Amino acid sequence: MKKCKFEDAIDNYLLNNLAEAEKEEFEEHYFNCSQCFEKVVARDEMIQVIKAKGARIFRDEYVVEEAKGAAWFEKAWSFFTPRQWAAAAAALALVAVVVFGVLPHYRATSPQFYINEEDTVRGGSVTLISPIIDIKSIPSYFEWKKLGDDLEYKIYIYNQKLLWSASTKENKISLPEEITKLMIAGEKYSWQVKAFSPEGTLIAVSSRVQFKISKTE
Amino acid sequence: MIEKDKNLDLDEVILKYRSIVSFKVRKSIGNYNPDWEDVVNEIITNVIEKVKSGEFRAESSIGTFIYTITSRRIIDYIRQKTKVLKHAPEPAILPDPSETVEDEERAERIASRINQLKPKFKEVLYLYYYKELSREEVAQQLGISPRKVSERVNYAQKLLKKMLKE
Repeated sequence: MKKCKFEDAIDNYLLNNLAEAEKEEFEEHYFNCSQCFEKVVARDEMIQVIKAKGARIFRDEYVVEEAKGAAWFEKAWSFFTPRQWAAAAAALALVAVVVFGVLPHYRATSPQFYINEEDTVRGGSVTLISPIIDIKSIPSYFEWKKLGDDLEYKIYIYNQKLLWSASTKENKISLPEEITKLMIAGEKYSWQVKAFSPEGTLIAVSSRVQFKISKTE
Repeated sequence: MIEKDKNLDLDEVILKYRSIVSFKVRKSIGNYNPDWEDVVNEIITNVIEKVKSGEFRAESSIGTFIYTITSRRIIDYIRQKTKVLKHAPEPAILPDPSETVEDEERAERIASRINQLKPKFKEVLYLYYYKELSREEVAQQLGISPRKVSERVNYAQKLLKKMLKE
């Protein structure tokens, strides 16, 4: 059968690649040529299906060309059957419910804790009163704000390392003579107070405050 | 092929041209436009009237005559719709569900048949129709001649037709 000269226009017509005049010429032609019209209809149907369902039809080609990076996902996905995936998802959901929904109700109240001199805690704090800036002479006493009755305070005085520490129920303390003798004008010192409940639980800590004893003229 | 017989069989003509006119109308105003059938019927009625009143004088083929009536009616329809649209928004066009179900089944069959084609045909269909590359670009990408691209498309179409008949 001799090929119609308009046959080549079929694809361009259906893909809207013809200029208006060419389009009209071709349309007039298929109104007159039933062979071409049949081909146009068949080709149109194929193109419509490809356009509507191409993403699925060409999934393999699609993956190769456009989503090479997604290949691992396909592999991972095919590792389990959909039913196994569903079971895994259900198990995960159960774990999530136990961890976030049930366990918090059974959680014990905050544990008591003990810290040593090097530790710091976030919680109640003791406010130091004196000395907190540079002083002219060696301080005769150290004072801080009272937190409550029946608490025990522990004071620490540091040079480079711990120089002295003592406990008291008062909110001030005097330094023993042997310690004041050790303190030298011009040196930097720091001090800190920790407060303990009658049961011995640490309940508050002060910040560590530095002071300097000016050299006497 | 070209009918110039003045005493043409009108019923036969209408039978043959209804599908061609329908195709052109749907292509111009949209496949799912519910008005397409009305427009086609108007065109057919118009053709019958004109042939009966002797307006078709066989100066051109009956195909060209019907094509002219068809394109004029489509232009009128589009103009009329544009005017209406200027005044009030058109309600959303909904496809006829019964027709869609049938179409959908057939489309599914075609899709599964395309899927069964050999890779050398599938890749051409993918690049040419899905990715809408030009024939030359497809040829270049696959390292074949543009002529070969057309041949593969045509052959794929033949295979599809055969598969659909099975």
